[in-house]
Amino acid sequence: MIVARALLLTFALAALPAHAALRVFAVSGLGGEPEYERRFQEQAQAVAEAARKSGASPENIVILSGERARRDALEREFTAFARDTRKEDQVAVVLIGHGSYDGTDYRFNLPGPDITGPQIAALLDRLPAQEQLVVNATSSSGAVIESWKRPNRIVITATKSGGERTATRFAQFWIEALTSPEADRDKNETVTAEEAYAFAERKVTDTFKSDAALATEHARMEGGNPARFVVARFGNAALMPDDAVLAAMLQEQAGIEQRIEDLKGRKASMDRDQYYNELERELITLAQLDRRIDARKAVLTGPSAGGPDGTR
Amino acid sequence: MAHVDLRTRLFVRTARWACALLVSFGVLGAAEAQEFDYDPNRSPALRPCDEHRNRGRTTEARTCYEQLLRSSNDLQVQAEAAWATGDVRRANELFREVVRADEKAVRPRVRWGRLYLSTHQFSDAAALFREALEIDADDVQAQLGMARLLSERFEGDARSIVSEVLKKDGDRAVGNSLVEAHILAARMDLDDGRYESAERSLERALSLAERTKQPPLEAYALLAALDLMRGDDKSQQRWVDRALEYNPRYGGVFEMLAHYEVMRRRYREASEWLKRAVDVQPDRWSAQAEYGVNLLRLGDVKGARQALERAYSGDPFSAITVNSLRVLDKLEKYSVARASSPDIITWLDPKEADAMRPYVEDLARKSIATFSRRYGFEPQQPVTIELYPNHDDFAVRTAGLPGIGLLGVTFGYLVAMDSPSGRSAGDFHWGSTLWHEMAHVFTLSVTDHRVPRWLSEGISVFEEWRTGPTPGVAVTPRTLDVFREGKFLPVARLDEGFIRPDYGDQIQVSYMQSGLICLFIEQRWGFDKLVALLRQFTRDTTTSTAVEATFRMSPADFDKEFATFMRERFARILAEPKEWERAMLAAHEAAQKEQWDQVIEPARRASEIFPDYTLQGSTWLLLAQAYDKTGKRPEAIRTLQRYRELGGWDPGALRKLADWLDEAGQSEQSAEILNALILIEPLDASLHAKLGERYQESGKPHEALREYQVLLALNAHDTAAANLGIARAFQSLGDRANSRRHLLEALETAPHYRPAQDLLLELNGKPTQ
Repeated sequence: MIVARALLLTFALAALPAHAALRVFAVSGLGGEPEYERRFQEQAQAVAEAARKSGASPENIVILSGERARRDALEREFTAFARDTRKEDQVAVVLIGHGSYDGTDYRFNLPGPDITGPQIAALLDRLPAQEQLVVNATSSSGAVIESWKRPNRIVITATKSGGERTATRFAQFWIEALTSPEADRDKNETVTAEEAYAFAERKVTDTFKSDAALATEHARMEGGNPARFVVARFGNAALMPDDAVLAAMLQEQAGIEQRIEDLKGRKASMDRDQYYNELERELITLAQLDRRIDARKAVLTGPSAGGPDGTR
Repeated sequence: MAHVDLRTRLFVRTARWACALLVSFGVLGAAEAQEFDYDPNRSPALRPCDEHRNRGRTTEARTCYEQLLRSSNDLQVQAEAAWATGDVRRANELFREVVRADEKAVRPRVRWGRLYLSTHQFSDAAALFREALEIDADDVQAQLGMARLLSERFEGDARSIVSEVLKKDGDRAVGNSLVEAHILAARMDLDDGRYESAERSLERALSLAERTKQPPLEAYALLAALDLMRGDDKSQQRWVDRALEYNPRYGGVFEMLAHYEVMRRRYREASEWLKRAVDVQPDRWSAQAEYGVNLLRLGDVKGARQALERAYSGDPFSAITVNSLRVLDKLEKYSVARASSPDIITWLDPKEADAMRPYVEDLARKSIATFSRRYGFEPQQPVTIELYPNHDDFAVRTAGLPGIGLLGVTFGYLVAMDSPSGRSAGDFHWGSTLWHEMAHVFTLSVTDHRVPRWLSEGISVFEEWRTGPTPGVAVTPRTLDVFREGKFLPVARLDEGFIRPDYGDQIQVSYMQSGLICLFIEQRWGFDKLVALLRQFTRDTTTSTAVEATFRMSPADFDKEFATFMRERFARILAEPKEWERAMLAAHEAAQKEQWDQVIEPARRASEIFPDYTLQGSTWLLLAQAYDKTGKRPEAIRTLQRYRELGGWDPGALRKLADWLDEAGQSEQSAEILNALILIEPLDASLHAKLGERYQESGKPHEALREYQVLLALNAHDTAAANLGIARAFQSLGDRANSRRHLLEALETAPHYRPAQDLLLELNGKPTQ
C-alpha cells in the first residue's frame, strides 16, 4: 500500500503541469428490452459526462450505442481510437450491457453479431497507453478477467466468473462513484479506480442485502495499479493550470504526503502519543499549504467550480 | 412511494404478528419415539418382550428382543425387535424387505411409517401411511398413523381423521385399536383447552387399555397433564404415581407435563419436569433434546448445550438437536453486553453489534419504562434480547427447526427476534416487533405466565398501536372480512385460533381480533379495566371466569358488545367494502398511468372509507404522491403526516416526507422522521450521516456522537466523515482529547479533507483562511 501510494504521488507529480490526456471509450451493448436499452445508453452517456467533468476533452471521448455499437463499427472505431492514443495517455474502456458465457467463450451482446472475449482482447492490445483501465460491467464478465489483464492494465468485471449470468447492477454504482464525491474516501478531490471499485462493490453488496436477495454478482478487480489511476476529479483537483509557483507548491505538498505515508508505515512500531503528535504536525503543515494552493489556483483560474470545503 | 397491484396487495405486515410462543409446541412431540403399538394384531411373539419394556424392565426387555431377533423367522417381528433394541437401521432394512415381499401389505407399511415418525423423517412417514391407505382406505392403523403425524406436526386435519376412526367405536372388528384414537382425541382436546371432552376420551382410553391389557401409560400421562391444567396438584400426583408404579422408568409422564407447561409458557416449570423425565429415563432422547431447547429459552446456554449433546449422543437423527447445537456454536461468537437501570442484556451478531446496540438498548429502556408505568410492574430480573441476522438461526433457536414464519418470540425475560439485517428493507419494522415482544415480557411476568395466549398477544398488538413506534390501528381488510362473515371466535375460545387454526390465516386474524378486543376494553371501560383483566390471571382461572369477574357480564354478552364496537369503529369500511376496493383500484390505475390529477379523488375517497389502511398499497401514499405531482406540496406533507399518525411506516414514504419537510424549512420535524426510520432501517449508513449532521447542527452533541459512532461501526465507505463527526461531537461535549484523536484519525485517512483541516487548524489556534 505504501508503494502504491508513493507511485500515486510520483504519478501526480509527473502529470503536472500538463498532465496526460484522459481518453475514454464506452460502449452500451444490446439491451434486448426497451428498459435495458435505455438504461445502458444513459449509463454510457453518464460515463462520458463524468470524463468531461474530469477534464477529458470531447475529442478524447468515444461513445457507441444502439446501431453504432455493431461489431464492425466497434472494431473500426476502436482501431481509430487506439491509433490516436499516445503512450503517456490514460485510457479507460467501459463496456455496459449484457454478456454471456457458454463455458468456452465470453460474448459481449451487440446489435448484429456479438463480439467475443478474445476479439475484444485483441483490440485492447492495440492500445499503446501505459495506463489502461477496462471496466466490463456486463453479466458473465468475470470470464475474461484473467485473459484481459496486463501489467499496465487494470481489469474490473461486474461478476466473478462467466457463471454469474444475471443482468448486473455494477455499472449503475460505478457511474455513481464517478459522479459523487461519496466515493472519494481520502477527500483529495479525485477518485481513483481503487476507490471507485470499493464504492461500487460495496453498493452492489448493500443492495442485495437490502433486498434480502441472494447476490447474483460479485465484482473483481485485477492487474495494473488501481490506486494511481484517477477516474474522476472534482473541484480544484480538476484544475491544473501551468504555473511554476503552483508546481513548486504541489511539489512541497507531495513531500508532506510522502512523509505522512512514511509515518503511517511506522505507526505500529511507534509510541501512540508520539505518532499522533508527529502526524498532527505534518497535517497542520499540509492544511496550511492546501489553503495556499487553493488560493493560488483561484488567482490563476478565477472562481473554481468546486467549493474549498471538499463538499462540492 | 410504492405502487402495488391490488391483486398482491394488503397483507405484507401480518407476518410480524405470527409471533410469540406458539411455535415450540408442535415440535416437542415430534421427537417422541413410538413407544406403544396398540394394534391388537401385533404379533403375540412380541408381547412378552413388550411387557418387559412397558414395565420398565429394560435389561429383560433387551434380552427378550435380541433373542427374538435371532430366533424369529418372521421378518416383521425381527424388524420390530431391531427397532425396540434401538437398531433403527436394521429395522429399516427389515421393513423394506417385508414390504418388498408383499406389495399389498398394509401393516408393515404402517409400522415402517411409525419407524420413520420416531426418527423425525416425517415426509417418508407420511408417504408410507398414504401408501397403506391407498391399499386399504379403511385401515384404522394407517389412519391413526397419519393422524398421529399430523397431530404432532400441527399440520392438516388430524381431528377429522380421529373422529372418523372413533365412529367405528362399536365395530368389534376394530375393537381395541381405539385406545390410540381416544388418546389422540384427548391430546387435541387438551391442547385446545376442552378439558371435559379430553377427560371423557381419557376415561374411555384407560378403560379400553385396562380391559385389553394395553399399556395405560400414555393415558396416565395425559390425565396427569389434564389435572395440571386444571390446577389439581393432588390428582395430578396420583396419576404420576400410577404411571411410575406401572413403569418406574417412564419419563414420558414428566415429558407430557413439560409439554403442557411449555404450552402455557411456564418454561421454568417445564425444565423441572424435563429434568425429572431424564432422571428416571436417561435414554429418553426426546426429553433430553426438549430439556436443552427449554434451557435455551431460559437463557441457560451452558446447560442447554450439555442436554443437547446428551440428546445427540442417543438420537443423532433429530433435526431439532442438531440445529440447536449449530446455533449454540454461533451464539458463542455473539457480542454480549449488559446495560443497567434497567438491566438489559443484549446478544448481537458481532458484525452489527456496535451499530445495533445503542438503539436496541434505547428502545428496550423506553418500553420497560412505559409498560412498568402502565401495568404497575417492574421486571424482576434482567431482560435478555437476542437479534439474529439469519432468520433460520432465529427459528432454530426458537423452535429447534428452521422455516417458521415468525419475527420475534418471548420466553419470559428472554426475547429473541430477527435482526433487520436478515430481512429486505421495508418489510420489517424491528422497533415495532421489539415493542410487541417487550409487552409480552410484562404480560407473562405479571401473571407468572398464566395469561392466556389471546390476551398476551392482544395486549402486545394493542401496545404496538397505542404506545409503540407505529401508532394507529393497523387492521387488515381480511380481518374485517372475517368479522363481517361472523367468523370471529368468541372470546372464551379465542386461544383456539392460535393453537389449532381452522383456516389458513386464522392465526393472523386471531392476533388482530385479540388486539381489537383490548382496544374495545380500553374504549368501553378505560385502560385500567384491561389491566384488571390481565391481573385476573395472577391466579389460575379461565378466560370466561376472568371476563365475568372483570366486566360483570357473561362472555357471550361481552362478545355482543365487542361486535357492536366493531360495527361502529369500522362502520364505513364494513358498509362499503366494494366501494373501497373500487376507489383503491381507480387510484392505483391512474397512478400507474401517471395521471396524477385523476388519482386524488379516488385515493381520498378510499382513505376516507378505510383510513386505518396503511399497509402496502395504501391510498394515503398515492394521495401524497398525487398532491406532490400536481404542485400541492403542503397537502402532500399533511397527507404523509396523517399516514404516519395512523401507523404507516413505508420507509420510502418516510424518506420522502423527511426531504419535503427539510425543503419546507421544518428541519426539526424532518429529523424526527429520520429518527423514526432508524427503527426500520438501522443499518443504512446515509441515515446516520444525516442524523449526525442534524443533531450536531441543532446542538445535540450526545445524539450526534451516537449517530457518528454507529456510522463508524457500520464500516461505511467514508470513515473520514464519520471520524470528523465524532470529533466535532466530542468537541461540543468538551472532550478535547477524544476530539483530537478522532480528528487525526479522519485526517489520517483523508489528509486533504478540508472541513477536518479547518477543525485541526482551529483546535491549534491557526487561521483557517
